Amino acid sequence: MIVPILFVAIFPESARAYIDPGSGSYILQIVIAGLLGASFTVKLYWKKIRSLFSNKKKKVNENPNEKSETS
Amino acid sequence: MKKVKLRSSFRDLSGFVFEKEGRVLRQVNKVYKKDYDLLISSGLYNELVSNQLLISHSELGGNLAFEKSISYKVIEPKKLDFISYPYEWCFSQLKDAGLLTLRIQKLALKHGLTLKDASAYNIQFYKGRPVFIDTLSFEKYHEGEPWVAYRQFCQHFLAPLVLVSFKDPRFTKLLRVFIDGFPLSFVSKLIPKRTWLNLGLLTHIHLHARSQSYYANKKIVKKKITKVGLRGIVDNLESTLKSLSWNPEGTQWAEYYSFTNYNEEAFVYKKRIVNSFIDTVKPKIVLDLGANTGVFSRIASSQKIVTISVDNDPAAVERNYLESKKNKEEYILPLIIDLENPSPAIGWMSEERTSFIERRPFDLVMSLALLHHLSISNNLPFDNVADFFKKVGRFLIIEFIPKKDSQVQRLLTSRKDIFGSYSIDNFEYVFAKHFRIIRKEKIPASERVLYLMCKK
Repeated sequence: MIVPILFVAIFPESARAYIDPGSGSYILQIVIAGLLGASFTVKLYWKKIRSLFSNKKKKVNENPNEKSETS
Repeated sequence: MKKVKLRSSFRDLSGFVFEKEGRVLRQVNKVYKKDYDLLISSGLYNELVSNQLLISHSELGGNLAFEKSISYKVIEPKKLDFISYPYEWCFSQLKDAGLLTLRIQKLALKHGLTLKDASAYNIQFYKGRPVFIDTLSFEKYHEGEPWVAYRQFCQHFLAPLVLVSFKDPRFTKLLRVFIDGFPLSFVSKLIPKRTWLNLGLLTHIHLHARSQSYYANKKIVKKKITKVGLRGIVDNLESTLKSLSWNPEGTQWAEYYSFTNYNEEAFVYKKRIVNSFIDTVKPKIVLDLGANTGVFSRIASSQKIVTISVDNDPAAVERNYLESKKNKEEYILPLIIDLENPSPAIGWMSEERTSFIERRPFDLVMSLALLHHLSISNNLPFDNVADFFKKVGRFLIIEFIPKKDSQVQRLLTSRKDIFGSYSIDNFEYVFAKHFRIIRKEKIPASERVLYLMCKK
């Protein structure tokens, strides 16, 4: 009787991870995380670079007079 | 004060949903206290609700709790007009629901939380758009943990969408059979070999299916993955989902209005009569059966009347949904429902997901250009049809199409006419047993007649 009570007291019921992630699904994520993480990082930087250029372009387009004044 | 625990709310120990005097309440259990507080204090809840991604709720006093001893809080989410299930959604509805789930996961990770499940049943359509309804699906993200709901996401969203995109739109209906989404091995077998060349489908479907079968019943060593890796997986799922498409053009019913028995004048007149019938009834919620692309549903929904617009043709429902999305319509909900076999109650003890017919009563049911399909294609006697309409709604707008109409003749081309009782006189006689006929209007330049009836 005491053992189960102690067990419940030491390991309180947790609401975490109530669904089974599945062993195969778990392992696959570990395998693909490197590749997909790397391509995600490249994508992020690429977006940043592109937005940098498009912002510059936009600025130029927004202020066409400014360009002529400075040139 | 009667409280009833919802039969679908048992899996997650974080809390559950119960009904009390017509209100839908959610008990948050003590065991979920930390995660609930983090959802609120991190700012995630506010960001999700202000972007209409998560259903908002108000916190109520603890004395309303269903089980006080384990209760931390009781919350009352905004009430939805109508509950629908993934096996009733068209391709784009399921895709939008999947993309919403991923967007929420991305925002959750930004705030230091993660989704602990990715069930399609966590999404409902509210005011024309998908919204996440399970407030207790969030938990603290611990660096190094993979996404616990990855398998579920692939099974509930990616797999059915892939099957529609590469095979057939009718596959979504099969979600009724697979309540936890499609087994990935099933999908991997069915889709074309060329999908092995698509990085997203190769990993999330084919390799995923093989990894599941290889590691089934094997003990695994748990390793960590970086947050960037996790974000990479979510991002790749998103781009894979976005790349899936399905073109609904060219099916029989989606093109229906281009070959009906109406000239434009009669069509306009029919719309006007339907409108005046709706004005008479002043319904709050309408069910349009055999709605096709929702032309007549929109007479109701454009007047801010919640209208559930159902059809059995996935292409018609897809076009209906895309139009509602394009026009940001808030009051129409297109769904795929086969009237000859409407969604039954399913799940544990057949009580988890309610049947379509018993989900909620409608003030008004519309059955336009439908009766001949039920009576002739499905051999249903008028009595049985009247029984069905009586069961789902109070008022009824019904169109009678006589046998000599070309649409009825088309149904009889390949079969013997055993429908001697299919006449307007018999129709009125049988329906008058169940309904009081309030109005009867003949559509000019056609043989068709529209009725407004009220349940006796």
